[in-house]
Amino acid sequence: MTKIKSTLQRFRRSPAFAGFILFVVAFILNAALQGPSAFFTVRTFNTLFAKNVPFILVTIGQALLLMSGTMDISCGVQVALVNVVVIMSGQRMGLPFLVCCLLGIVAAMLASVVCWVCCSIFRLPALLASYALTFAIKGINVMIMDVPQGKVEKVFYKAYDSQIFGFIPVSALALVLVLLIWLYVKRTKFGSHIYAVGANPRNAFAAGISPSGVQLKAFLLKGLFTGIAGVCITLMIASGNPLQAEDYGIRSLSACILGGLGFGGWGSVACGVFGAGFYVLIQNSVYYFFSLLVKLIPGFAVSSYWQNFVTDIIIFLGLLMTIVTAKGQREALKQGIVRQFKREPYKAEAKEGNGGEGK
Amino acid sequence: MFELRAIEKRFDAVVALNGAHLQVEPGEIRALLGSNGSGKSTMIKVLAGLVNPNKGQVLIDGNPVTIQNGQDSRKLGIATAFQDLSLIPTMSVRDNILLGNEPRNKLGMVDKKAADELIDSLLKRFKIDCDPNAYVQTLMPSVQTMLEVAKAVSLKPRLLLLDEVTASLHYDEIEVLFSVMRELKEEGVAMLYVTHRMNEVFQICDTTTIMRSGETVTEGKMSDFTLDDIVYYMTGQRPETDAKGAGEHVEKADGEVLLDVQGMTVFPKVRNLSMRAYKGEIVGIGGLQGQGQSEFIRALLGAETVEDGTIIYDGKEAKFKSPAAAVVNGMGFISGERNREAMFPLRTIEENIIAGKVAKGNLFAFMTNKSNHAFANDAVEKYSIKIGELGHPANSLSGGNQQKLVVARWIAMQPKLLLLDDPTKGVDIHSRQEIHRILRKCADEGMTVIISSSESEELLAVSDRIYVFYEGAVSAVLSGANKTPEALVAAMMGMTE
Repeated sequence: MTKIKSTLQRFRRSPAFAGFILFVVAFILNAALQGPSAFFTVRTFNTLFAKNVPFILVTIGQALLLMSGTMDISCGVQVALVNVVVIMSGQRMGLPFLVCCLLGIVAAMLASVVCWVCCSIFRLPALLASYALTFAIKGINVMIMDVPQGKVEKVFYKAYDSQIFGFIPVSALALVLVLLIWLYVKRTKFGSHIYAVGANPRNAFAAGISPSGVQLKAFLLKGLFTGIAGVCITLMIASGNPLQAEDYGIRSLSACILGGLGFGGWGSVACGVFGAGFYVLIQNSVYYFFSLLVKLIPGFAVSSYWQNFVTDIIIFLGLLMTIVTAKGQREALKQGIVRQFKREPYKAEAKEGNGGEGK
Repeated sequence: MFELRAIEKRFDAVVALNGAHLQVEPGEIRALLGSNGSGKSTMIKVLAGLVNPNKGQVLIDGNPVTIQNGQDSRKLGIATAFQDLSLIPTMSVRDNILLGNEPRNKLGMVDKKAADELIDSLLKRFKIDCDPNAYVQTLMPSVQTMLEVAKAVSLKPRLLLLDEVTASLHYDEIEVLFSVMRELKEEGVAMLYVTHRMNEVFQICDTTTIMRSGETVTEGKMSDFTLDDIVYYMTGQRPETDAKGAGEHVEKADGEVLLDVQGMTVFPKVRNLSMRAYKGEIVGIGGLQGQGQSEFIRALLGAETVEDGTIIYDGKEAKFKSPAAAVVNGMGFISGERNREAMFPLRTIEENIIAGKVAKGNLFAFMTNKSNHAFANDAVEKYSIKIGELGHPANSLSGGNQQKLVVARWIAMQPKLLLLDDPTKGVDIHSRQEIHRILRKCADEGMTVIISSSESEELLAVSDRIYVFYEGAVSAVLSGANKTPEALVAAMMGMTE
């Protein structure tokens, strides 16, 4: 019992907590607006996952980069790159679909390595370098595929949209796979090196870690995740489009910040997941909010821009809220320092805290 | 045996090392001494793999090796505890100690159980009382330093480099550190110990290497040296014997009161504190680390919020909202945290000197290049700061000279009240004496100086009266015949009659 309590307390202090609260709020809001009976169905969940897994995967990759003190806003067009490579290698070279998928993932990893070279080797500011890369990759996409075209065999896209045992969406499996990869990686040396490099590359170097090596691994891993996201999006739209998903880059960044990640050495992948979840569910909720308005007010009709406007306002407010939670973190930090100066043994303090909770 | 031979290192025009050499045997604690800018830290960094020398050889057991980076250094059995800490503040104590040295299980994952055992035994050995899951940034500076050393020791090195680690330690922690060092010595670990605290050197070190301006001046057994010898080798001058005695300073108690603080409270460090400073007086603030000294000084300056009490400054009640307001009213502030609070490391030396003048003048006041040059040149000469050119960045200077630069900046503005918070932290004896000389001269010209310092010798040497802080209040005021080392130490421990 006390163990659960202490785990809960630790979670409350963790950087992902703010993101979790946002996620829960958006979840409840969505369920309420859509109507619980319509929301809690296999179909709704399937659609939610199938549509949004690519974005969530990209956000996880972005979270990884933010933790290691860098970023890549070209990951949106990298998703499109994967899509284009998968479709065209099937269409031109007649390769089997699974091989095409592997090629697509390799393409995303290559693009990530290019970004790594710019950021970690040439030391260009990550934001600017990856923004420039956005246009370069977009150009490559269009060179490979000039207009939207191509198709995926029905077996594959049908499979993506189906459920295992009738209730687990297949698309969710991609998310589970990525999270499993992360859970393993997190428990290796790399898992702590990533924080060290993100927080202070110089000190990490003094501790015998190669900062650019760690960032390379982070970029490769992000490339893998982006690649999987690209395969998912290919299965989702079942065709090719060289100019799609571009906004994933910047949206994934804001989702990470919403989830409580800082720039460098702070936060966790969970922040990215909750942030992306909040993003997705808020968009969904606003859609249902407007359709509710249409039903309630006869003659009510607005363009879909209004939906985007309201969504973005909410996200903006969410970003503002992260300042408040960061303030909370600062407060916790201050208290920690005060406690240290009083030189109280930490165990006695912890007991006090637990006692207070018990009442 | 570890040996460095004829090491040369240049940073552009500045020569940091010029054919320096050094050797350490297993089971030997060697003191590496020298004033600031003599190249001690660079030697340490060469061994740690943070600096690649332009010339020279590193030999281990007679075989030449190359150390390109931190990993190489670790592989060769060298571990370093850095002066400016290599800990990551946003990571936990556990992760920090394990960083780069994680025990792994068969799956390549970090072995949690082995890690916990390692951490527990290490924290016990160094008598560090902290939660292994706590973030390092929430720990006291002294605990962080102990962790830094513990982290280096946990690598089981053959050569341990300790770069000014005792600067922020309490005396009991230093004892723990020394006992660990003696154990390691028994185990045959070679150690290089860099410090500015001379009494420690005689206490713990077997041998010494003394450096001056990038060269090794002398080396030998510790027992063959006296303190005077060491100062001589470090500075090239015999120390002056006319150390100013306690009674020599004039009591200025009848003079004009410049600052009168009554019942000041700054949560949570300063409680109901009263003090007074007279015109032309140097007031020392002593005490153990973290007894409210720096909060007090920052509160005077308006950088901390005063909760209670009155400050009467220059005949008026003063509660400055920001340091800028305090500066306009004739206060100056010099911090020991050079990089964080006092310097613009990337800007030029000239700009650094001008900065204070700019802050005092009008926002749109016109400044000519010529007058700026003259002003900066004047300051550099007056305070004998060793520089390359006025246009070089301030971080091209050595630590002692950087501090002199900051002192020069403020004194050039002729403040009425100069506040110094541990200004000679990490500054060598020679530069320190020069700073003291400058301060005394200013006081004689009518400036009031309040200086906080963690070193008793410094306070006794420079101040007319010493306020000793203990737990945020004044535990004693020492002046005249009372101003003895014994009384100061007693008051620092809170022992007042």
